[in-house]
Amino acid sequence: MLRVCPDAWGQTRCQTGSVQPSPAILIVDDHDGFRTFARGMLEAAGFTVAEAATGAEATEAARAVRPGLVLLDIGLPDFDGFEVARRLATVAGSPAPVVVLTSTREARDYGGQIAASPAAGFLPKDQLSGTALRRFLAQDR
Amino acid sequence: MNRWLRAALVAGAIAAVGCFVWSSWPPNSQYAPVEISFAVVGLSFMVAGIAAWQRWPASRLGLLFTIVGYLYLVPYILVNLANPVAWTIGNVTEGISGAALAHLGLAWPTGRLRSRLECGVVVADYVQNIAFNTAATMFWNPAFSGCNASCPANVLLISGGSRSAWNAFNTVEGFVGFLMTGIILTLIVRHWRSARGWSRRAMIPLLWIAAAVGAENILTGNLFHFSALVTYALLPLVLLAGPALFVISTVRARTAGGALGTAIVDLEPGASPGRLRDALARALGDSTLQLAFRRPDGSGYLDTSGQAVDVARPGPGRAVTPIADADGAVLIHDAGLEHEPQLVRLTAAAASMALEHSRLQAEVHAQLEQVRASRARIVEAGDAERRRLERDLHDGAQQRLVTLSLALGMARDRAAGADPELGSLIESASKEAREALTELRELARGIHPAVLTETGLSGAIQALAERSLVATTITAVPDGRFPAAIEATAYFVVSEALANVAKHAGADGAQVTIQRRPGRLVVEVSDDGAGGARPEGGSGLRGLADRVASVGGVLRLDSPPGGGTRLEADIPCP
Repeated sequence: MLRVCPDAWGQTRCQTGSVQPSPAILIVDDHDGFRTFARGMLEAAGFTVAEAATGAEATEAARAVRPGLVLLDIGLPDFDGFEVARRLATVAGSPAPVVVLTSTREARDYGGQIAASPAAGFLPKDQLSGTALRRFLAQDR
Repeated sequence: MNRWLRAALVAGAIAAVGCFVWSSWPPNSQYAPVEISFAVVGLSFMVAGIAAWQRWPASRLGLLFTIVGYLYLVPYILVNLANPVAWTIGNVTEGISGAALAHLGLAWPTGRLRSRLECGVVVADYVQNIAFNTAATMFWNPAFSGCNASCPANVLLISGGSRSAWNAFNTVEGFVGFLMTGIILTLIVRHWRSARGWSRRAMIPLLWIAAAVGAENILTGNLFHFSALVTYALLPLVLLAGPALFVISTVRARTAGGALGTAIVDLEPGASPGRLRDALARALGDSTLQLAFRRPDGSGYLDTSGQAVDVARPGPGRAVTPIADADGAVLIHDAGLEHEPQLVRLTAAAASMALEHSRLQAEVHAQLEQVRASRARIVEAGDAERRRLERDLHDGAQQRLVTLSLALGMARDRAAGADPELGSLIESASKEAREALTELRELARGIHPAVLTETGLSGAIQALAERSLVATTITAVPDGRFPAAIEATAYFVVSEALANVAKHAGADGAQVTIQRRPGRLVVEVSDDGAGGARPEGGSGLRGLADRVASVGGVLRLDSPPGGGTRLEADIPCP
């Protein structure tokens, strides 16, 4: 039973004591402010968090960290999120991570591309929470 | 032509014909028609002389016509004067107008003899004419024709004359005349054969006339003996062909001048220089005409068939006329045309006009093309700017608002238990942030739809149909990507049309069809509403039409009152 309660962020959840073994999460986003904030939020929610700022870094980190879930921003400076999702799906070895695409835009701004990608789904950035990510992980199981 | 010269020539002609009538008065009943025909022939050469002098001031043709006219009438006048000296001179010079006529034929159409050899032939013809007439006259006693004291005396008569000697000289003169006529006709045929273009055509009437005069000379010469009446009746008829030569050439130049105008008018717009050359050559009847342009690098000239042309040395019998205002373009034509300076000027002016016209046309086309291209660039730059703005909003303010909204959400959760008042305050702040985010998203989408950049036309049209306030079906939309300007134009057509349907049409449903056709993309939005939309109405259709035109397309509106509205954009698409 892994319990991660590094600081005040995760008080509520630590108090409940009913934490599932939480997989590592890789946040891929070129926006430093968002990455920092999301890291704090997700660590508070009991996740181990790694970060990447570009598509290239993301595939690198995925190989090293073997995250259970990748929170993948669609707009990246090198490849777009869809391309990164395709690459992550083909990382050899352990089972591919659950990929959740995210953006400040809405899902319909991307037409059918989200459905066509190997990602598990799309989460608007302003609706990010540990609970929402756990829902994706649960779906995958 | 000098007016004094003209006055003198007119006075001379009147005087000559007057003298002729006076000298032969009262008319001899048997020869009256013949004498009248003499007067007509002489006068016609003199008139042709005045007209030719006027038309070709630089040429000797006018002088030659005039000389033939005088040489024709004066010997008859002299013979009729009943004066021994005059009678003798008249007899000696009787046939000299024939030599002058041969001179005219050899000098046609420029008025100049072509070589020393031909000069020699002409001089020999004059000399043999006078020599044989002089010799024959020396042996002609006027009493041979049955006139005694009433006839003027022959000043040259030697030892009472000799009919047989006179006959002998006349026979020899017949042979020599036959020979000279043959030589002169041969030379004229050679002129015709070596002439090209304009000059060759100018030789043709001369050829016929020379053949007729030659035949007449030979038949009525002293070689054969026809009755005097045949001789006197035939000769004037044939001689009238001389002035006819002038008339024919004048009519031909006039006709060519008129044909030039027609040729230029009939030239289709944007005709190539080759077509212009053909039209000018046809109008002038000069197939050798060349139209040459300076090479772009300035080294020499090329004609319309791409052949290099040496303008400084255009070759024998060729002449160069520059075309005004045509960037050094020149006409290279038969040198014979230079004797029709009016026609050359007219041709050059016609060519100048036609070239100027095509140049202006090309310029206007180029300018129009520039304006089209710059309009397309402006619209594309606008699109790019809008894409950049949308991206900046997305990367900047939207991103920060998302983070802010998330933070407020967490703060609310944590404050909720401890301080409910603070919790509800944070909750309302969080709601404001979420609404700001939604508004900003709408604003960004209005500036430029991210979905268009991200997924292309198909996804973007799908999104438009989903958001539309009127039930919208998409019957066809091609997959794949198109140039950004075309995608944006098609998108804005559908977006604007659906907005109009929602605002004005009162329709139950709308239909969007985008079809790929060879070389174009056809965007069609129709509804089942009230119709009656007008392009000039404030429905943004004017701006939409401009937008479609910026990529070279056309916008059509079909909106009969009560019959729904159909908007179609036909956009060129590679």
